[in-house]
Amino acid sequence: MSGDTCVRARVARGDFTLDVELRTDARVVVLFGPSGSGKSTLLEVLLGLCAGERPSVRIAGRWLDDPERRLSLRIEERGLGWVPQEPLLFPHLDVAANLRFGARRAGAAAGRALAEAIDVLELGPLLARRVDRLSGGERSRVALGRALASDPRALLLDEPLASLDLPLRARVLPYLLRVRDAKDLPIFYVTHDPDEAQVVGEWVAVLDRGHVVATGEPRAVLWSRAVLPLSEALGLENVIEARVRACGDGAAQVETRSGVRLSVPAPAPLAEGEALRLGLPARDLLLAAEAPGRISARNVLPARVVRLEPADDGVLVHVDAGDALVAKLTRDAVRALELAPGQPVFCVIKAQSLRRLA
Amino acid sequence: MTGELPVGMIALTLRVAAVATLLALPPAVALGYTLARHRFRGRSLVQALVALPMVLPPVAVGLGLLWLFGRRGLLGGLLESLGIEIVFTWYAAVLAAAAVGFPLFARACEQAFAEVDPRYERMARTLGASPLRAFATVSLPLARRGIVYGALLAFARGLGEFGATAIVAGIVPGRTETLALGIWSRIQMGDDAGARALCAASFTLALAAMLVAELWLRREAPPVAPAARS
Repeated sequence: MSGDTCVRARVARGDFTLDVELRTDARVVVLFGPSGSGKSTLLEVLLGLCAGERPSVRIAGRWLDDPERRLSLRIEERGLGWVPQEPLLFPHLDVAANLRFGARRAGAAAGRALAEAIDVLELGPLLARRVDRLSGGERSRVALGRALASDPRALLLDEPLASLDLPLRARVLPYLLRVRDAKDLPIFYVTHDPDEAQVVGEWVAVLDRGHVVATGEPRAVLWSRAVLPLSEALGLENVIEARVRACGDGAAQVETRSGVRLSVPAPAPLAEGEALRLGLPARDLLLAAEAPGRISARNVLPARVVRLEPADDGVLVHVDAGDALVAKLTRDAVRALELAPGQPVFCVIKAQSLRRLA
Repeated sequence: MTGELPVGMIALTLRVAAVATLLALPPAVALGYTLARHRFRGRSLVQALVALPMVLPPVAVGLGLLWLFGRRGLLGGLLESLGIEIVFTWYAAVLAAAAVGFPLFARACEQAFAEVDPRYERMARTLGASPLRAFATVSLPLARRGIVYGALLAFARGLGEFGATAIVAGIVPGRTETLALGIWSRIQMGDDAGARALCAASFTLALAAMLVAELWLRREAPPVAPAARS
């Protein structure tokens, strides 16, 4: 239990004002919102880098700023591991020296923290490398490693995948998840990607124009009517986590967490047991009232309607197909199928509409 | 004199310029860093004041130093009570060279620090470095190229310093007579050949110093540009 995080901050910068209040017991906090919504500024507040009205910051029960006690830790006393959008690796130091720069703070724990960071992020082969000889993905890993080597009390990750292209994201995300799961560290994870928000976090705060507009469990929040226009604009879709069971002939059989089998396209062979995250846009999920006959779609799953939620341009139909999925239908289609909560349906998913995510 | 290499004079000239550069280094770095990192009222005035010794008549700079370090000067009296004499010694030549070289040096430092992304230092702070350590281990090494270039410029400028030096150090052969002063006194004495020989030595030293400065700039790759914002 590392919860008990609470942040109150007000920062005015030109015509932009950040005014937020957060309170959660979640260990992994996702700050989600479009660019310019104040996510990075909020991280700067936590880091003590942002001059402004005195904030109130408590992370996992530890006070960093408490205006009532006139407490405000200096930047170097906060013990936070910051991975900014640009990795900001020290260009005059090689990878090993960058990591040691972080490890210095760890004191007696330096050796262990350094070894652990190198191990979890597989940085061994990069140690002697100059930082300008690193690829984008390697740079991200080293920046994360430097933060971890400092034995931080919390990790602040600012769009750690945003600057990477899709294949690279797929390579770096597992490292992030490994870090998330390997240590009982509070994490603030900033992203504008709804897929990441659904995969990484247990609790999300949605920021828009400097204000928190919603908080809660990521799936529930991102698909809620209030947030939907924003999250859809940023590419919201169903995210399905699965493992490869078998692979061959341009397609792979995968099994989701709840045991649902799916067929997905696999242009390159996938290793058995490999973890995949698949994206499925809500508009690409077909619902059938009866089991379809011979059909090209490779995935037909029996499911049950959970609830219907009107959206501006249609209806979101939440179904339980083992995994929770959302289909976006027109009102007309909902009427024609006479969809109602509890009703059995079949989800029809073209293998081709399942996109492999990071 | 003609045909002989003025070894003593060259050695003195090099020593004066080198010590002057070392003397100017800490204030040039401190001032350059402050001007590059902080926006404060009167910043432009400070910049203008710093540039003054570069554009004032060197003789005026010399007079200023005399007022400061002369026996009745603000600091001169204090130093004399400590048994340190400045005026008409090679120390005075050092002070003069430091004063005229300082503007170049400080400006080069300011530019060097301005080119270092301040976010590196902030990153160092978040990793537990005190402001001083962040400066010493991140900003200073990253600004190294410009700082060393500034030092070489100041050194080269010191090699040729004449006007201010003549006022505070006088022309004492063997003690304060640098190459520039030597040329002047040879001309005064009508020793054209001697003046030419010293000119040649001056020319060679100055060229060498500037060449080293340019080669340094070329050799030191500029610091890696941070990845462009996407």
